[in-house]
Amino acid sequence: MGEFWGEIVSFLSSERLWGATRAIIVVIIGLTTAKLVSSGIARIVDKKTDLHRTMLLKRGTYHLILILFLITALHQVGFNLSVLLGAAGIFSVAIGFASQTSASNLISGLFLVAERPFTVGDVIRVGTTTGEVLSIDTLSVKLRTFDNLFVRIPNESLIKSEVTTLTRFPIRRADLMVGVAYKEDLSKVRAILEEVADKNPLSLEEPKPRYIFQGFGESSLDIQFSVWAKRENFLDLKNSIYSEIKTAFDEQGIEIPFPHRTIYTGSVTEPFPIKTSGDQPADQS
Amino acid sequence: MTTEFDNLPHWWGSFTFPYEQGLQWRIGPLTLIVCHRNGEWHLGHQRAENFEDPDITWEVCRTEELPETLDNHSRYIFSKAVKELLVTPRLADRPVISRPRVPFNLTAGEEVTLYVSSPLWLELALALGASPPIKLEEVSIQRPSDTWFGPSTLEGELCYASATHCRIHLDELPQRAHRAITPVLIRNQADTTLTVERLNLPAPLLSLYVCAEGQLWTPRVTLIRGRDEDMAELKIDDKPPEEINSPRLLGAPRQTAHVGALIRAFNAVFS
Repeated sequence: MGEFWGEIVSFLSSERLWGATRAIIVVIIGLTTAKLVSSGIARIVDKKTDLHRTMLLKRGTYHLILILFLITALHQVGFNLSVLLGAAGIFSVAIGFASQTSASNLISGLFLVAERPFTVGDVIRVGTTTGEVLSIDTLSVKLRTFDNLFVRIPNESLIKSEVTTLTRFPIRRADLMVGVAYKEDLSKVRAILEEVADKNPLSLEEPKPRYIFQGFGESSLDIQFSVWAKRENFLDLKNSIYSEIKTAFDEQGIEIPFPHRTIYTGSVTEPFPIKTSGDQPADQS
Repeated sequence: MTTEFDNLPHWWGSFTFPYEQGLQWRIGPLTLIVCHRNGEWHLGHQRAENFEDPDITWEVCRTEELPETLDNHSRYIFSKAVKELLVTPRLADRPVISRPRVPFNLTAGEEVTLYVSSPLWLELALALGASPPIKLEEVSIQRPSDTWFGPSTLEGELCYASATHCRIHLDELPQRAHRAITPVLIRNQADTTLTVERLNLPAPLLSLYVCAEGQLWTPRVTLIRGRDEDMAELKIDDKPPEEINSPRLLGAPRQTAHVGALIRAFNAVFS
């Protein structure tokens, strides 16, 4: 028992205790400094850059300062830093091999931040997934789809694949596919479409609506009618203008055909006459 | 009611509502009904489709019809007993792009004053005595079409489109209650001819005046084209236009103009 107390007393009076105390003080100072400096930097750059970059800068500053103070604290306790750094080098190679995917996502995340193809709040389309960007994190981007699902897309996939940002520009074009019957006068159809677009306040007057004849379809003359709208009004325009086109076509007697087959006997002919007859006598069948 | 509706000089002003009383505005295609009942204000409006009336007549009258029956209906609840509704004409909150029905050319060194009309909105607000009025909403008399004004789909701004005759003689101007008139002085100081197909009228920067005859006007806008481009130096008078008698200020501009600002003023047509 006396030996134990002797060891405690010798430890308390030793240099190691003072080293440990100094290390703790350095860590506490480090934590405070890191917090103050990172918050200060975030406040300075807050209005100059977007939310995501501010957050990244704040976190980076915080961790950098903290690591510097931790290294100083370890030095105070008596660790030989050159040995520690050497071990860390070997360790990081091992970790690197073991976590290739995470490292790839991490680096891809840095490229995404630098390239800035979208920011938090944008609506993007990746493959078949369309949604609003909730956050751009170290390893992945989180989306909320319009049917309210949470989707996590690894940064590496975003770097490798095609990403469409739907909310980048203030105006968008809606390509309306319209089919009319073969008998219709295309110049009349074009005039009706242009009048419908002109009357719809959501359809931009400039850039002008574009009429493109796509060709002779299986059962209709296929037309692409492209109208522009303010980005926020895109869906409203699509919904309203399709019903207005339908109404205008109905009023003007323009037929919107559905797929059908017409049998010709080599030239424009009258329809085949069809006659119905009663039950055939059994002996004739 | 504080006003006699049969003899109103114009459709705006202050209207006091007794309880359970509805009032209807008909201005061109717009029908607006405001009703005050059970401590609530009900607002309803709708616009007639395919409306064609070059004179655009207006009337304000009592109505038994409910705002709920119209296409757009909104409801406001107040703890205070508010009985006074302020109806104020407002200009557009975006620039208005006027397209002359026939484009015109202005040769080098020439200048011209055009009279350009732009659409109006009704601002509905409740008066609270000494306190500033509470704005409820704005309703456009005719919903103008959206348009884009800029050299490309990437660069430019969203505006309203308006077809205009761009008249140059004051006596040809029709008096219309639903539009405000702006005298636009264009000076072509460049050494090339300016072809005006579209004209950018900075409506949010303009104040609104009413003349003795009841027509709404804005101050004169001067566009000085210095070089061979679509940009022009913008100047806006800080007084009512000289063309009108007994002007009275009705509303301040929505935004403050920068003195001598350079704006994209002409054309910007692209395919």
